[in-house]
Amino acid sequence: MAIITLSRGSYSKGKEIAEKVAACMNYDCLSREVILEASDRFNIPEIKLEKAIHDAPSILERFTHGKSDYITYYQSALTRRVRKDNVVYHGLAGHIFLGGISHLLKVRIISDLSMRVRNKMETENISEQDARAIILKDDHERRNWTQKLYGVDPWDSSLYDLVIFIDKITVEDAVNIICRVAGFKQFKATRESQQKMDDLALACEIKALLLNEHFDVSVTSDYGNVVISAKATGRQLQKLNERATQLISEVSGINNLEVHSEATQRQTVI
Amino acid sequence: MSIINISSDVYEEGRKIAQKTAEAMGYAYVGREILRGVAEKYHLSETKLVDAIDKAAPTLRMSLKLRKQLMAYIQEAVLGEMLKDNIVCQGLAAHLYVLGVSHVLKVRILIDPEERARNYAQTHNMSVKKAEKLLAREKKLRQQWSFSEFRFDETDPSKYDLMVSLSQIDPDEAVRIITETVCSRKFQPMNYSEKCLKDLELAARVRVLLMDKYPSSRVQANGGNLIIETLGLTREKRKREAAIKELAENIPGVNYVEVHFIHDFFRQAAESFR
Repeated sequence: MAIITLSRGSYSKGKEIAEKVAACMNYDCLSREVILEASDRFNIPEIKLEKAIHDAPSILERFTHGKSDYITYYQSALTRRVRKDNVVYHGLAGHIFLGGISHLLKVRIISDLSMRVRNKMETENISEQDARAIILKDDHERRNWTQKLYGVDPWDSSLYDLVIFIDKITVEDAVNIICRVAGFKQFKATRESQQKMDDLALACEIKALLLNEHFDVSVTSDYGNVVISAKATGRQLQKLNERATQLISEVSGINNLEVHSEATQRQTVI
Repeated sequence: MSIINISSDVYEEGRKIAQKTAEAMGYAYVGREILRGVAEKYHLSETKLVDAIDKAAPTLRMSLKLRKQLMAYIQEAVLGEMLKDNIVCQGLAAHLYVLGVSHVLKVRILIDPEERARNYAQTHNMSVKKAEKLLAREKKLRQQWSFSEFRFDETDPSKYDLMVSLSQIDPDEAVRIITETVCSRKFQPMNYSEKCLKDLELAARVRVLLMDKYPSSRVQANGGNLIIETLGLTREKRKREAAIKELAENIPGVNYVEVHFIHDFFRQAAESFR
């Protein structure tokens, strides 16, 4: 079946739509659960992780990669959860984290600012001015976050398969449209697309595990053949090789694992 | 009993989907064929009208002023067709000027940018990279034009009810999504939405009439009552008001005309130096 990602602004009824789609299709509905899982799995304070994936990186953080580390943990937790398919994810940047997977249906839900402000006022019992300011700040942060980390604008419609404006199209209509589209054959997992998903999850998991031990690496996987590229040399590279060898028995799904040193271009086959 | 307005980054793709939608719904298809009638009525070339819709950058052949005039003629014709109801309109830039009418379903068909660049490169015999650059420039120019002329960015997703990307979804499936969506109760015409459309059509007709003499005029209609805003010098005020009223009051459907005069500071300043 399919993986559905719903990109949405706060208070734009995206959450309600995601839950209804999940109920209608009998799928799991994910959002905050991913933060909890990442926090639990990689032993990071939940609040730090939440802040890292919500706020755009500062100038200093763009040099120190402080935020990108947390994002790696988050992406690993997300890919682990969605690899089994039949999932509706309405959290942050699903269409980017899971990019390249053909059975991924990318939906963006937008709604009128005045309606979002009204929803926020009703839910949190605050003034119109405060509600508007919070929503606009939130939108700005999210836009900045994606632009600074991935160089794309989340408001660019070409990133999605469907963009639905909730106004004349009601929540129920949107749910019907999404359920219908998710049933199309191209959004059903094939052996190739499932393999791609498994490879992505595997690469993310290995990267997160190595990052947890302060190795700055990039990881790719193709049919379980994993390539770890690192800038390490000498003793550090040796340590990385040793750790990588252990990973073969720790992480399931690895057929072959290679460590490439980008600094020396030397290749070590494990 | 609705109107479906389809726009697309690529005219041909939008046309295919619009024609199939019209066929599936039993609606009339209103496309660029109506431009022939406009060209005959105003003694223009049909190609120029197509260029006014498609070409983003001003050229020697097509100044901004001429484009504005041609768009006014197209608007008049399209809104006239829309009054007939049960139509699928495509390729006439109606998404830019048919706003605030609740029984119009506004759909944008998105084409995968990479695929579009590849096709463009193949057709125009150039590298994909160059095609990407050209298309990005064209997109930017169109955004600027729609913003200056219609006061919004045509790529803004909040200006559409639904956007469907053809990168994963087949055209036939897109047609099914559109036909199912338009059946929603919210896209059925109401007295108010029909009135809004009639007002837009009346305003477009008046604007065409004023276009030659007063090209900077803006027209708003409300049930036969018109508010016309025009730029000019204070000394011309009374004469111009009278002339505009005389022109507008002769149009069928107009009950009352109010002319709002906007002082033209730039012309005033330019004339004071003479």
